Amino acid sequence: MTSLKRSLESEQDSANFSSKVYVRSTKSGKVQKIVREVYLRQDIPCSSKICSTCRNTAPANAAGVVNPFVLSDKPAGTKEYPQGHYLVPDTNALLNAMDLFEQSTAFYDVIILQTVLEELRNRSLPLYNRLIGLTKSEDKRFYVFFNEFRLETYVTREEGESINDRNDRAVRRAVQWYNSHLAQTKSKKLPTVVMLTDDRGNIEKAQADKTPATRLRDYVSGLENGERLLDMIAESQEKGISRDKKAADFLYPEHFSLSKMMTGVKNGMLHQGIFNVSPYNYLEGSIKVPAFPKALIVLGRDNINRAVDGDVVVVEVLPKDQWKEPSTKIIEEETVTKNENADGDEGEDLVTEKERRALQEEVKKTHSTSSEGRAQPTAKVVGVIKRNWRQYVGHVDQSSVSQSAKQGRKQESVFLVPMDKKIPKIRIRTRQAGELLGKRILVTIDSWDRDSRHPIGHFVRSLGELETKAAETEALLLEYDVQYRPFPKTVLDCLPKEGHDWKVPASTDDPGWRGREDLRPLLICSIDPVGCQDIDDALHARPLPNGNFEVGVHIADVSHFVKPSNAMDHEASIRGTTVYLVDKRIDMLPMLLGTDLCSLKPYVERYAFSTLWELNPDADIVNVRFTKSVIKSREAFSYEQAQLRIDDASQQDELTQGMRTLLMLSKKLKQKRMDAGALSLSSPEVKVQMESETSDPIDVKTKELLDTNSLVEEFMLLANISVADKIYQSFPQTAILRRHGAPPKSNFDELSNQLKIKRGLELRCDSSRALADSLDACTDPKEPFFNTLIRIMATRCMMSAEYFCAGTQAYPEFRHYGLASEIYTHFTSPIRRYADLVAHRQLAAAIDYEPMHPAVRSRGKLEAVCKNINVRHRNAQLAGRASIAYYVGQALKGRVADEEGFVMKIFSNGFVVLVPRFGIESVIRLRDLAEPEPESTFDAENYVLKTSGSRELSVELFQKVVVRISDAKDEATGKRGAKMELVKVVG
Amino acid sequence: MPLDTSTYNLALLRVDGRRWNELRQQKGQLGVQPSADGSAYLEMGNTKIQCIITGPNERDTKSTSSASTAPTSHGLGATVAVSIMIAPFATVDRKRRGRNDKRLQEMQTTIASGLAATVQGQSYGPRSTIHISLNVLSQDGSLLACLINAASLALVDAGVPMTDYLVACTAGSTSSYAAADEEADPLLDLNTQEEQELPFLTLATLGATDKVVAMVCESRVQLTRLEGMMATAADGCKGVRDFLDGVVRDKGELMVQEGAIGRGEVVSSMDLD
Repeated sequence: MTSLKRSLESEQDSANFSSKVYVRSTKSGKVQKIVREVYLRQDIPCSSKICSTCRNTAPANAAGVVNPFVLSDKPAGTKEYPQGHYLVPDTNALLNAMDLFEQSTAFYDVIILQTVLEELRNRSLPLYNRLIGLTKSEDKRFYVFFNEFRLETYVTREEGESINDRNDRAVRRAVQWYNSHLAQTKSKKLPTVVMLTDDRGNIEKAQADKTPATRLRDYVSGLENGERLLDMIAESQEKGISRDKKAADFLYPEHFSLSKMMTGVKNGMLHQGIFNVSPYNYLEGSIKVPAFPKALIVLGRDNINRAVDGDVVVVEVLPKDQWKEPSTKIIEEETVTKNENADGDEGEDLVTEKERRALQEEVKKTHSTSSEGRAQPTAKVVGVIKRNWRQYVGHVDQSSVSQSAKQGRKQESVFLVPMDKKIPKIRIRTRQAGELLGKRILVTIDSWDRDSRHPIGHFVRSLGELETKAAETEALLLEYDVQYRPFPKTVLDCLPKEGHDWKVPASTDDPGWRGREDLRPLLICSIDPVGCQDIDDALHARPLPNGNFEVGVHIADVSHFVKPSNAMDHEASIRGTTVYLVDKRIDMLPMLLGTDLCSLKPYVERYAFSTLWELNPDADIVNVRFTKSVIKSREAFSYEQAQLRIDDASQQDELTQGMRTLLMLSKKLKQKRMDAGALSLSSPEVKVQMESETSDPIDVKTKELLDTNSLVEEFMLLANISVADKIYQSFPQTAILRRHGAPPKSNFDELSNQLKIKRGLELRCDSSRALADSLDACTDPKEPFFNTLIRIMATRCMMSAEYFCAGTQAYPEFRHYGLASEIYTHFTSPIRRYADLVAHRQLAAAIDYEPMHPAVRSRGKLEAVCKNINVRHRNAQLAGRASIAYYVGQALKGRVADEEGFVMKIFSNGFVVLVPRFGIESVIRLRDLAEPEPESTFDAENYVLKTSGSRELSVELFQKVVVRISDAKDEATGKRGAKMELVKVVG
Repeated sequence: MPLDTSTYNLALLRVDGRRWNELRQQKGQLGVQPSADGSAYLEMGNTKIQCIITGPNERDTKSTSSASTAPTSHGLGATVAVSIMIAPFATVDRKRRGRNDKRLQEMQTTIASGLAATVQGQSYGPRSTIHISLNVLSQDGSLLACLINAASLALVDAGVPMTDYLVACTAGSTSSYAAADEEADPLLDLNTQEEQELPFLTLATLGATDKVVAMVCESRVQLTRLEGMMATAADGCKGVRDFLDGVVRDKGELMVQEGAIGRGEVVSSMDLD
């Protein structure tokens, strides 16, 4: 009995074992004490190619593969470290200057310590993810050294030592170890391992124990293009110096604490929503919150309180006597704040006199109008939950740069005017102001403190000269977050090895033929825009003996080439969609697939995914089936060619007959859709014609719509609907579908009011059918374009359609409002849309062609995919439109044209004119009408603006006007665009 | 907050600094409760188990009401009754568990039927019961595996005849089910954090053989990865078996040294060197 109790403690303190104890608090406020084991070891390699000891002991994974060593044996040297050096940044260095580390000119051979990685993860997850991305890039040579697990570099926290001091000590210990470890290699050219930090205390301690260390700023200025890089260090760390000058007097009200906001939102005192800035007035924002049917208006700089477009904010509703109508005035930041000084804004009031005057009229007007409840609730921002800051493209405001800076290297503050008018001016500090003038540059916002009128940011990089095609295109891609880098090697490795020589296997016994139907004998053709290379779809139709028709839609079988969860699939899911710009296409899939192997080119055999219907002569579906297939397209038509061939009565071959059948059926399908209440919407679409060699724009044409356009569209819709049905039946939880919500009635309030007052027309919007009918009734016998104008305006009141996962919504919510279909998905363009690719995989599983891959089955994953592609889809559309707008501007360069336009929005000091010929709309302000600015009276009830004095006019809504269009550079955004001048008012 | 399991691929190191095929630190002791018929204490990392054996006794239905039972030797031998108690202080948040926790009952059944296949119960007769009470003092992953190992050790202390040690171990896979990446490494002996983030299974084998006595897998995992995980777990079981054997031999040697038994007396078959 005596011997049975043995102390376990004696074994505990073995050298290679430790434990980590820390305390964390949960969301509900509970405090938890977590104990984790830590196993200390000596086989963690230094990963330097110089070191042979580590290479011999390097660990392997389960497959016996050893991770290759990362750090170069000939690292770059600097003046201070001529033998070459490895960098060890501490957490602050990464927090402040992640952009620097992503540079391609410097910052190679970097050792990231585990201590730093953990700290960074706690401080900022996005930065952590960027850093992980860097460690995966082969050419940057970033190595993560797990110093907390290596016996020699493990540091225990001492009594009374703060966690930050302990971590700093761990970093210094690791640097010391590295240096002594590398010294053992006896290499002739021994690189120094240098700690990179901004913490003064840390530097001093490092000097005390002779650890090589340098300040980030000192290091960067020692680099070759140091001055350019210096600007990329975040502004925040400069603070320490400028703060001391004087106690800042705060310009903005303080934001509430998070817990105060949360309580407020919970008990209904405060409201949370996404902050949107009005495109016409930078001092007005709106927030949609569930508690109010109409959006809350936030007016004025102090009420906006540092919120930036897209931020998730919490607002407090103002008392009723401060409620206002939405502004009827155009206020542009550029004109109001033209003369602000970027360098010093001490002593200025928050709301400048000018801004106050600009807003004054608002107040006057609310008093004059009979208060019949037209006033909308207003609110003020009390806090920001989540910033939606991204990188912004813009140009440096010329007037904010001092003369001396244009030559010298003095650091000074300048304003950056973002391209997006909704984003306020950003103040950046730079030493290269002179060089940046006239360039498109990319910046990020670092912070917006209470004592600063403008947000503070830092320079990231320059895209090139303003107005050059390369810079403007890149700016556009960055602004809409389009991934435009070339495909990485890992993605290209996923392509078939045969390259362009790939063919459908000749033998039908080949595994590629498994489960495929041989549809090569069918007379299939494709109809696409001129010059289309990525042909997604092809069609055929033939009569059946029973008098019905067999119709087939054949879609490129992209899922055969892009297997789930490989690098290519991953890249495609991030890109989400192909982006079409006027002169450029940013592909979702590598060229080889998009324009060759998947593309249903004529005269060659291709894999396809076919939807085959039996339709009766009334175009009712008798039955439908889906199959993987092999097809051979007989011809690739353009819309015009197809139309000509159908119209040419002398063509009586089977292919043409098939196309005529398709056309006949498509008209019936369209009629059925219209009867069900599908909307025919409109947006001003134009096409830029380019000179074929120089690709300079020469002319702008409005898009023509032929019967064949609608032919293809109808069958694609039919295919999408049939597929949506099928995958929803098979996978009621995970099917990927597309819905279009019914717009809330209040969206149409303004438009229907305008129609009632101006034309005595009624717009009904209780159902899509009613809306379609009342839109049809909105005509003006004298003006055929009037109907289109109303349709364009109605389109802007709609919600945007979105992808979703079937399990996340109830069935009635699946409805596609615009197409008046109960269920819908995207299936027909897998080359250019990722959603279609997912639908292909699901359909393949639904017809038992292949088992469902887990990635397509996991609902959480699909929801994330949907979220991403919704954003990408929208951005791609916006980028495409912006590209057209840019090229229209270019095409108009040096020309002056008088064109007809229509007034589509009216303000008290200007109006917006849409010119259908070029598809552009532009603001004409009162001060553009004549010099000096004419007096004006604005009748908001009747939408009439009368001017007197220097020019007498009466402009009203929906009116036809003639404008002179010339090209001019917009000073505010640096964009070249059409400038309009009013010539006369018609009728 | 330390890093999570996704950093494994950066340096092939797990959240606690182990390699993929390493067991955690283990500690074991026999006869920790002198008044019991057999007892053992086992630590695998921060999972700490105390096991008490009572019996074989005459069957008593009252005391086995909450335990799970399984007959040995096709109903001809003694019955094994297993009951698990998780101490309220065993987890991060102090909480009391009811006796009817379904997960606990399932673990009890797994352990009971696994041991019933290993224990040579025919020497006791069908109306006797061996009570195995497992007390979880601290919980940090691989709970079921650790319970099985502790029970084996205590049965040895109690002198119940068995064909071999019943040993168990968990194995996981470095990437989650949905990530579906082909290059996932198998992992041995998971802790709580890994169990929460990754798919894993528990495998029990008979001693150092590859005879699988029990396997439990409650997470979704690709079929292609299963084989690698099972092989890894089986290797782990061998390691556990060696460790348990070492504990028993150390105890035996100690008893010889202290003169509790004479060398070559009862333990003649034991090779004490």
